[in-house]
Amino acid sequence: MASIELPHIAAAARPRAPGLFARLARHLAKNPSALIGVSIYLVFVLVAALAGSIAPYDPIEILFTEDGQLAASLPPSAAHLLGTTNLGRDVFSQLVLGARPSLFVGLTAAVAVATIGSAVGLVAGYLGGWVDRALMRLADLVLGLPFLPFVIVLVALIGPSLQNIVLTVAILLWPNAARVIRSQVLTLSQRQFIEAARVTGAGEWRIMLVHIAPNIVPLAFLYGSIAVGWAILTQASLSFLGFGATDTISWGTMLQDAYASQALDREQFSWFVPPGICLVLVVLAGFLISRGYEELLFPKLGEG
Amino acid sequence: MGTLLEVKGLSVSYRRGGVAVRAVDAVDLDVPAGAMLGLVGESGCGKSTLARALMGVLPGNASIDGGRVALDGEDLTELTPAKRRQRLWRELSFVPQTSMNALDPVYRLRDQMREVLCERGGLPTKAADERAVALFRSVGLDPVRLTDFPHQFSGGMRQRAAIAMALALNPKLVIADEPVTALDVIVQRQVLDTIRRLGRDLGLSAIIVTHDISVVTYLCGLTAVMYAGRIVEQGTTEALTRRPTHPYTMGLMNASPDLHEPVETLVPIEGAPPDLADPPKGCRFAPRCPLALAACRESDPPPVVVEPGHSAACFRAAEAGALREAARKASTWTR
Amino acid sequence: MDPLIEAFGLTKAFPVSRTWRQMLRAERPRLKAVDGIDLTIRRGDSIGLVGESGSGKTTVGRLLLKLTSITSGQLTYRGDHLDRMKGARLRGFRQQAQLVFQNPFDALNPRFNIRRIVAEPLVNLGVPRAEHETRTADSLRLVGLAEPQRYLDRLPHQLSGGQLQRIVLARALVVGPEFLVADEPVSMLDVSVRAGILNLMRDLKERLSLTSFTISHDLTLVRYICSRTLVMYLGRIIEQGPTEEIIARPAHPYTKALIAAVPRPDVDQPRDALPISGAIGSAATPPSGCRLRHRCPYAFARCASEEPPLIEVAPGHTAACHLHIA
Ligand SMILES: Nc1ncnc2c1ncn2[C@@H]1O[C@H](COP(=O)(O)OP(=O)(O)OP(=O)(O)O)[C@@H](O)[C@H]1O
Ligand SMILES: Nc1ncnc2c1ncn2[C@@H]1O[C@H](COP(=O)(O)OP(=O)(O)OP(=O)(O)O)[C@@H](O)[C@H]1O
Ligand code: SF4
Ligand SMILES: [Mg+2]
Ligand SMILES: [Mg+2]
Repeated sequence: MASIELPHIAAAARPRAPGLFARLARHLAKNPSALIGVSIYLVFVLVAALAGSIAPYDPIEILFTEDGQLAASLPPSAAHLLGTTNLGRDVFSQLVLGARPSLFVGLTAAVAVATIGSAVGLVAGYLGGWVDRALMRLADLVLGLPFLPFVIVLVALIGPSLQNIVLTVAILLWPNAARVIRSQVLTLSQRQFIEAARVTGAGEWRIMLVHIAPNIVPLAFLYGSIAVGWAILTQASLSFLGFGATDTISWGTMLQDAYASQALDREQFSWFVPPGICLVLVVLAGFLISRGYEELLFPKLGEG
Repeated sequence: MGTLLEVKGLSVSYRRGGVAVRAVDAVDLDVPAGAMLGLVGESGCGKSTLARALMGVLPGNASIDGGRVALDGEDLTELTPAKRRQRLWRELSFVPQTSMNALDPVYRLRDQMREVLCERGGLPTKAADERAVALFRSVGLDPVRLTDFPHQFSGGMRQRAAIAMALALNPKLVIADEPVTALDVIVQRQVLDTIRRLGRDLGLSAIIVTHDISVVTYLCGLTAVMYAGRIVEQGTTEALTRRPTHPYTMGLMNASPDLHEPVETLVPIEGAPPDLADPPKGCRFAPRCPLALAACRESDPPPVVVEPGHSAACFRAAEAGALREAARKASTWTR
Repeated sequence: MDPLIEAFGLTKAFPVSRTWRQMLRAERPRLKAVDGIDLTIRRGDSIGLVGESGSGKTTVGRLLLKLTSITSGQLTYRGDHLDRMKGARLRGFRQQAQLVFQNPFDALNPRFNIRRIVAEPLVNLGVPRAEHETRTADSLRLVGLAEPQRYLDRLPHQLSGGQLQRIVLARALVVGPEFLVADEPVSMLDVSVRAGILNLMRDLKERLSLTSFTISHDLTLVRYICSRTLVMYLGRIIEQGPTEEIIARPAHPYTKALIAAVPRPDVDQPRDALPISGAIGSAATPPSGCRLRHRCPYAFARCASEEPPLIEVAPGHTAACHLHIA
């Protein structure tokens, strides 16, 4: 009897399935705040990548004026866009090169948090049982730790390199991601298409990686972008508090320098305001991206 | 008995991505006092939109493009939204399509009842609680369960609680959107019997929206068949089931088997209702209609009265007898 | 013919949450969703399973497909114990036994296109890639989607409910199974579309000589595609026999109610009160004796004290009710 489908539905050429990137692009186009967030990241990434050619001076070089004097505490001018520090270093060059450690810390921490969070969330949510209980206990434990004190202690123990800062941030931030991803996995496991995969012979690993994992990517992305801000702030705080590495120039060390040399009292705003703004912008970008993420996470497939 | 609800030329459209979707198009409908009217049609034909328009609870992207809705002779579309809201619950009330989930999960049913009875009906708490007990009894629920939360109820019980709430302020008309669709046969029957008893004992008038013609046949004296935003046939349920005149009604009847009659093959209606953003020219059913003539694709068939109180919007309504013969054959419907 | 599937005393119990008193007494209450049922499915059978919501129908279907573990009892497929099946034997079983889902809107991965969805079982069962394209297209044609190319690149949300349910069928059939379980295959679909899917299922069963097991609370559907029917109530089979015989001469009061409850497209249908009242209880606390007794109009003393066994009321037709024993 094989029935015939209605021609006027079937004939209408439907567009190809939009991929993740197409959806991402459409999401951004419709979502000004996310677009701003992503743009901020892009600008900073560009600056960090091209820092060498943008910065007019070596950030730690002590500069002298033409008449041989130490170029200390100069106000902004064409030669020194943001003036100089009290030791005669160019603030603008520091700001530009300071983007590198900040973004390195931010982006690696994001990847680390997203990866660990997804892996733990997937395994705990999908396998359940004692694995789930053990992992979630661990997550509770970590969530109970006070953030900054723990970072300081850990960094003091293993050394203040950027990698170690990333490590400590990742250790402290994965549980948030893992918990949310776990509950998403639990919901997904109830969906009939998961049972359908099982009935057609898909192994447990395949179900987890092929059918469930793609559906949690947006959440992992969200927690990654939140981690960027946290990691950068942590690195800055450590530097500011004097626990950071002293040999790298970062926004945090700039603030610490400015603070130590009482830039505020001397009204050298162009020294400490720009790194402060940069920090705020990067953290804000993560926040802007995370806002309205639901649309990306649960695409209303009906509106295709 | 007089006409309780009179709908004339009602049109409703949604704005969706810059285009207007006419989900209800020039609908005429009469509900006499004390009658139950079944509104049947496939998914996406505009049944819920019509129900919501009658209630005045359309979503924000919808607008009424014209027509009047008169309750006891008074045009509701001319009232301000605030005035109109005052009538909700008191004069006409609604059991929404997802009423199984429409009860608020964080409040006990008694509190939800009080909300309606005290806030809307102005009853003191004590009187409200007594009324809630009576309402629960009338829909066959144990009043003890008033202190339960909705999640402690089964699907059928939640459906009955939603009906009890709709009846709280003695409305003249209840509009129930798919009140039994998600229920199993036994619970479905119990809920249908509850509504039927309320109609018999209290003279309740109701519009029952469903896609199942058997439910309408069981419960309603009147039937209106909706297709692609229009009422294509209406009349007494007896006339419609015995003498269906619009080919769409004939198709629906074919697709609804009777458990007690042997069936050789079921006959589906091929295809799906049109996209209302771009409805076909002429009769909207023509692309799926095996009995369509060339004229059907040219202009809109107006409703024709085929016998007193029974009308159908089909160019071939006069030949209905012969069409029914043809429509009974499965071969007519498979192309 | 030899049985394809046999079950003896098949039981599935779920743990239920405990009250503090039960915790103190270290009791572990369980809900027996399926409680000791016997079942024989022969090759070529088309069996229907009916019952109210909560009677355990879906659980039986999931047991038959090894989607949930057996608590006790025996279940064999071609003589093999399902609970001991592993590795290659399990893959062989997965190729032979497939499921059609209730909700086509949920049963297809929303991020996969139709091509990937229908080919998924082929990937899982290790069918060579070269064959995927033709087998996928053949399967779509089999379910009445005459021009597969039109559908292959679409996402599920771009298709109608009826088309989606055909895709669900195509995915089940692409590996050439011999046994098909369908759990409420049309309850989410429009009446006008249901007829098409039911015709298709009947037609496929015939053409592919499938053995089918169809779950529904609606006898109209079961009558249309099943030759034998089982009636289930609170985890037990309470009546079974040829479908026509059960509908014409139901022996159990519960079956009578199930039949009477179906509304008919006939204005003169009887509208008497249902023969049973109240609601199905929880399988966690089934009544003593006959499980229907609180709702049954005929219940007498013996119904409370003794559970009625299934006895033959006509050739090949059994029912579990004391009225037929007395
Ligand atoms: N909020 C909305 N915005 C835009 N379009 C809508 C909205 N609600 C419904 N529609 C469209 O209006 C048409 C009629 O929908 P409606 O819900 O009234 O149909 P229905 O007959 O109740 O269907 P069902 O049986 O599925 O409930 C459909 O094409 C639907 O897509
Ligand atoms: N995973 C589970 N955990 C605990 N209880 C369950 C589980 N699955 C089913 N049950 C219980 O087992 C009983 C039977 O459920 P089942 O889904 O098999 O019924 P059904 O006959 O298919 O009902 P429906 O018609 O509503 O689908 C119910 O009481 C249900 O709550
Ligand atoms: S055994 Fe008794 S209670 Fe059970 S169905 Fe028969 S008569 Fe009713
Ligand atoms: Mg609706
Ligand atoms: Mg079920």
